[in-house]
Amino acid sequence: MKEYFRYFKWIFIAIAVLAVILGAVKGVQGIAAMKGNHERTNTACKTTRRVFDHADVLTDEEEKSLEELIARREKQTGCDIVLVTLYESLEEYAREIEPDVPYNQFVRVFAEEYYEENNFGYNKPNGDGVILVDNWFREADGKIHTWFCTTGIVKDAYSDADIDRILDDVYLYVEDDPYRAYKTYVNEFYRDMTGKRVLNVNFPGWLPLLAGIIALVIYIPANWKSGSGSKTTTAVTYLEGGVEHFTNKQDIFIRKTVTKRRIESNSGGGSHSGGGSSGGGGGSHGGGGHSR
Amino acid sequence: MIYKCKNCGGNTIYEPSRKRMYCPHCESLDSENIVRDNSLAQCGNCGAPITPGQYASAGRCAHCGSYIVYEERIDGVFKPHQILPFRLNKDMAVERLNQEFHKKTFLPAGFLSQKSLEKLQGIYVPFWLYGYQAHYDFEGEGTRVRSWRQGDMEYTETSYYHIIRQMEADFDKVPVDASFMMDDGEMDLMEPYAYQELEEFDPKYMSGFDGEVYNQSAPELEGRAQVKVRDASESLMQGSLSGYNTIRPGRKNLHLQRNDIRYVLMPVWMYLYQYQGKTWRFHVNGQTGKVTGKTPVSGRKVILYGLTTMFSVSAIFYLIGAILGML
Repeated sequence: MKEYFRYFKWIFIAIAVLAVILGAVKGVQGIAAMKGNHERTNTACKTTRRVFDHADVLTDEEEKSLEELIARREKQTGCDIVLVTLYESLEEYAREIEPDVPYNQFVRVFAEEYYEENNFGYNKPNGDGVILVDNWFREADGKIHTWFCTTGIVKDAYSDADIDRILDDVYLYVEDDPYRAYKTYVNEFYRDMTGKRVLNVNFPGWLPLLAGIIALVIYIPANWKSGSGSKTTTAVTYLEGGVEHFTNKQDIFIRKTVTKRRIESNSGGGSHSGGGSSGGGGGSHGGGGHSR
Repeated sequence: MIYKCKNCGGNTIYEPSRKRMYCPHCESLDSENIVRDNSLAQCGNCGAPITPGQYASAGRCAHCGSYIVYEERIDGVFKPHQILPFRLNKDMAVERLNQEFHKKTFLPAGFLSQKSLEKLQGIYVPFWLYGYQAHYDFEGEGTRVRSWRQGDMEYTETSYYHIIRQMEADFDKVPVDASFMMDDGEMDLMEPYAYQELEEFDPKYMSGFDGEVYNQSAPELEGRAQVKVRDASESLMQGSLSGYNTIRPGRKNLHLQRNDIRYVLMPVWMYLYQYQGKTWRFHVNGQTGKVTGKTPVSGRKVILYGLTTMFSVSAIFYLIGAILGML
């Protein structure tokens, strides 16, 4: 066991150091969040949750981590940040409220209603905040619709172009990695509202496992050496004096033959080939059989 | 015969690091007295029954631990012409094994442990050394090919040569082990020995070690020596035939004339390691320290170390991802 720990000493130390760094980063951010200069003044909000994954595209772990991120970002921005995923047709629901609403705006109707119904808003009910509604259901028009709904100061802060951009960025990842997409939404929103940059690095969940498996596949064969000892004698090891003697050593030249063949060149062959083939046709010696 | 210390009566042994006889009991040097005893049935020191195998020429009394050299097996036809005394003592042999194998991660934990090293044995292995004069006649036809370009033509010139070679080579002390106990391939890998340290045979060098008489006679084993000499001759001949693109041998005649046979004892440390019902053999050249042998792999260690590596790397990636994700 002692040998085991000595062998893995450095890698265990590295893990411990990284764990400490992670803890420190979390701690610093926790303190920063607590000192956040925005005090939430809305007391009428009906829920403490911000992530509503009805479409079930996130794991529990991812939901929890998004909730934590949102809690931090809310204090920093002074805005409520809400995420709703759905997998259902909103046609009936939306048309009941707004009879003529087009397909792409069902989610708008839902987002506005949801925000209001729950009394979201950082400063007051239906106050400062943002809600992203991502409905994974393909409506009758064959499309999936997403809505980014702004309220209060957020409404003033976001131009149409800004909204397009943030939704574009969400759509970059949403199909392959919804968690990363929604994290981008939260972090980009934070950046837009505070002007502070965010790294927004997101390793895919399978990467650590893959790295581990690759390490295993390299590690075991690399250490599987078992043999020792190879031949260390040569032809001269037991040769007295270390040299052989040639009492007769002759290399007598007998004859020589010379053959020639035409080189078929590839480059320039294009312009050449027409004439070449007709010219070569005459001399059967050129050996069409040789060249390809 | 047993070597006993004049000063204390203890069993003196040959100590390779000092190149002298040594009494481990009173630490006297060169204090040996030969106690003659011709028995193969009784220990000359304590009288306990001993059972040297069919070929043993030296060994240890299981009862009193004395090293005994069996006189009738180093005498007459069994008297070696020469002996190459051990240069590495037991500790040095262990050190060599350690050097060779300490980097092997998947070795079972018990490998080279104190307990398993009790089976490390210093053995004087019987060898026949053969001397040959080799005459090699070779005649054949060789070609040298040269090609060049001129315009869009390629010319190939093939020159034909009549090759004549007559080679004489003297091969001296080509070794072949004469012990059934030792694997032929492993003993071949022990080579080469530095023959300048060959000494006139003296049984005192065997005190402290095991030894064997030759298990097979020189004519019986000569085939192996001839193969070695033929291979070497062939390789020397090939060396003289460089520069040809093709060679078509016409006449090839390799004649070996034996001009020397010697019976010698060579020092080998043998380590037998038992693992999972199998015996793993390791040999250390008792003179040069060359190590041979294949190590076992501990399945438990492969799993433990492999999984630890896998999980550690995963953990590192996970932590880096988590840290970067927080920023």
